[in-house]
Amino acid sequence: MALPEAIAREIKILTADLIEVGLSVDQNFPSLRDFAGGIRDLGFGPSEGLSQTLRNVAYATAYETLKEGRAYNVRLIDGGLMQFLYRFRNDELVTHRLAFFPSPDLLEFQNNPEVYELDEMYGDVLHRNVVTTPLRFDFDRDAFVEVHHPMAHLTIGQYRNCRIPVSGPLSPFMFVNFILKAFYNTAYRLYSGEIREHAYDYVPTITAAETRFVHMQIGAPA
Amino acid sequence: MTEIIWGAAKKPVASQALAEHIERAFKGEGVLYIGYPVLSVPEGTNSIDALWVSPEHGVVIFDLVEGLEVVGYDERQDELANSLETRLRAHKSLMRGRDLLAVPVVVTFAPRNNSNAIDDSHALVNDQNLVEVLNEINWTRPDLYTAVHSVLQSISSIRRGRRRRNLTNEQSRGAQLKILEDSIANLDSRQSKAVIETVEGVQRIRGLAGSGKTIILALKAAYLHAQHPDWKIAVTFNTRSLKAQFQRLIGTFVVEQTGELPNENLQIINAWGAPGNASRTGVYYQFCKANGIEFLDFSAAKDKFSSSKAFEGVVDLALALGGSKDPEPLFDVILVDEAQDFHPNFLKLCYLALGKSKRLVYAYDELQSLTESNLPPPEELFGLGADGVTPNVVFRPPEPGQPSQDVILEKCYRNSRPVLATAHALGFGIYRDPDPKTGTGLIQMFDQAHLWEEVGYRVMRGELRDGHEVTLGRPPSTSPAFLERPNDVDRLVEFLVFDSAKDQATWLVDQIERNIKIDELNFDDIIVINPDPITTAKSVGLPRKLLFEKGFQSHLAGVDTSSDVFFKADEQSIAFTGIFRAKGNEAGMVYVMNAHDCYRSWGSLGRVRNQIFTAITRSKAWVKVCGVGEDMRRLKEEFERVESHNYELNFVYPTEETRKHLRVLNRDLTAEEKKRIKGAVTSVSSLADDIAAGRVLLEDLPKKELDRLRKLLTSGSANGVT
Repeated sequence: MALPEAIAREIKILTADLIEVGLSVDQNFPSLRDFAGGIRDLGFGPSEGLSQTLRNVAYATAYETLKEGRAYNVRLIDGGLMQFLYRFRNDELVTHRLAFFPSPDLLEFQNNPEVYELDEMYGDVLHRNVVTTPLRFDFDRDAFVEVHHPMAHLTIGQYRNCRIPVSGPLSPFMFVNFILKAFYNTAYRLYSGEIREHAYDYVPTITAAETRFVHMQIGAPA
Repeated sequence: MTEIIWGAAKKPVASQALAEHIERAFKGEGVLYIGYPVLSVPEGTNSIDALWVSPEHGVVIFDLVEGLEVVGYDERQDELANSLETRLRAHKSLMRGRDLLAVPVVVTFAPRNNSNAIDDSHALVNDQNLVEVLNEINWTRPDLYTAVHSVLQSISSIRRGRRRRNLTNEQSRGAQLKILEDSIANLDSRQSKAVIETVEGVQRIRGLAGSGKTIILALKAAYLHAQHPDWKIAVTFNTRSLKAQFQRLIGTFVVEQTGELPNENLQIINAWGAPGNASRTGVYYQFCKANGIEFLDFSAAKDKFSSSKAFEGVVDLALALGGSKDPEPLFDVILVDEAQDFHPNFLKLCYLALGKSKRLVYAYDELQSLTESNLPPPEELFGLGADGVTPNVVFRPPEPGQPSQDVILEKCYRNSRPVLATAHALGFGIYRDPDPKTGTGLIQMFDQAHLWEEVGYRVMRGELRDGHEVTLGRPPSTSPAFLERPNDVDRLVEFLVFDSAKDQATWLVDQIERNIKIDELNFDDIIVINPDPITTAKSVGLPRKLLFEKGFQSHLAGVDTSSDVFFKADEQSIAFTGIFRAKGNEAGMVYVMNAHDCYRSWGSLGRVRNQIFTAITRSKAWVKVCGVGEDMRRLKEEFERVESHNYELNFVYPTEETRKHLRVLNRDLTAEEKKRIKGAVTSVSSLADDIAAGRVLLEDLPKKELDRLRKLLTSGSANGVT
């Protein structure tokens, strides 16, 4: 199977698993589209470009717009949104944008607090001192500038020049696993066994200069 | 008989005289509206003094004159006729080509005026010749009577707003639902009374789910807003998913009546709310803001009180801090839907947030939770006046010519008789296997037997009295027969037992696929409800995954952050929901899954039976109750008894003592209480075993404790629970 189809299939299976364990309350089907020059985009259908449009607005507004526009692959139980966008050229990965937009507040609590209180799945999101922060793993082969714009990088909290070097592009499974483990730990410990793992051919893209300072290393070194 | 519906009468004396004449002289069917409808005119809006609609005489507008001065009545008549005609002409059902089939006639009624009509084309009448002139007006299209009403009540416009169904098969479920939707074209007279009659004070509207409370409140808000665009009107509710529904309904009605969108004085807001823009504000938040009281959000409230008492806690606190002073008037009218879901003190807060007029309208369903109303009567609810003796609010007995202060809607338009009776039978345990401890299968019962009649049941046989056998049924007057028509294509109520959760999920997914592909149902005609709120997210996972793999989209309504929308407009997605979000929503096809959870439950039998009751009553047509295993099989047997009794409820009305016993036995226990009781059961049985086996001798035990125990055991009811 060519890379784009393989990644699309992985997203579909991951989404199905997230539905089954009850973490996904709403979702879109992954969709592949072809463009001139051998370009293929893998996204989720509606309003894929919306998060770009909303770069300059307050986070709460951006989140609300994304949610209303259903601009996500998966909406999690607490309202957190996950997006998987990949672009390929002649079946080679050129960019990815894997984003996590947590819900800025939990107004729904006011209505049915007991649902949250009694369900372990919400264990992590209930603490009052939590500051919800959007995260994005970007990969861009063409925009690469050593050290200043690592090919694969992590942006925290939409800070404009926050690009923490990452050792290479992420697979959908790697991304989901990371998000669940870090931000939905209670649910992760309960259900990680039911979310099928996907093999990942890790291709490092980080440069020696970029490894000199703090960076993220994906998985175990081969 | 002619029904008189009292809207805001600007000319009370003439209105009263008119009502008396019409009631006396015209015995046929018809409705006389006072101060209704509101019409849009170039200068804004204008309410008609009175409008009479009858099958024989058609549509007659009254221009009322209280004094002697009738000058300019001809111009007024022309304007009234023109603006009502404009409204009627917008509806195809009343037109043939360019001709209006219900042309309004205008009569100026000036009881004290003695000069006769000056002009042939403009009727001017007084006490003497009113009836004579009205008798001369004839209408050739009595068949349009219902359609005219539908237009005047603005009901036809919500129907117009509904999405079209693409139907190819007359026998499909979709076609059946369309017929059903088309049959509910009008408000009945009690409903229109509830809409139009407004009290200067507190008004209570009670009725079962599906009796139209939400539409009534929406229409009422729109009518009041059209009449008084400067009034601050708040519409509030407990279930978030109602917000979108209210916005849509009220928006449509206001546009219909005034030709414009509602202005900012009409607020559709949450009860709690939060700082921020208009979409976040709420009644409690505004109360705090206006009275300089610290606002607590949910997290803060949860820390201060327990989470289940959070809202109750903040409201009590706000009342303690701001209620004793003269609170700032915030609104001219507040309409509260689902008042049964609030702590009574929230209504008190609303009452205090109103100025002198105290126009508070609260609608509630006494049976939403099957237990008797948790709302105290108004005399208690709103506290005592300055003298400390007289209650602030006392309902007047109904009087002719006065708006009704206490409206009961006994007709249920959502659930057919079999659906409603099944829900009640299971909820109350009417046909449950008798419990050895009480000798009855009943789980709960009203103390006030007459409540059964208020919610539309009638005694078919026996007596509705303590200790007597009774059979209760719903006649067509409270459960209209046309609601049972979908029975022609499939059984209205069906219970299905599966061997495993996987079988249940597979069947469910196959059915849904069939509903969409063959039965011509839309995605929003279907709801899947899982009664246990705690396990919902996980329990609905399997069927949702199977649907996803078949290429069907689904969503879980309810436990996400702030969505006000239950069904996703224009989205091809099936709604799954837990019981909380299911409230207030309805669909043609309801699937209840894991219903076995509702067969029995130690320490919360009442609660789980309420859940199945709520789930079943979401259905406008069909309901499939699914579950797994032995408990489901027994639940099915219980249903089969309802069926074999032809959906009548036959039982012995429990005596006061039994009712007390039921309440104690079936009370909802907290986790803490359950633990304590379980511990006590284990120690008692091991003690008994030990004594019986001689491992422990009575002499070994402290005499003082033994004596205490003996005393407690022999004194019977002195177990601390009566």
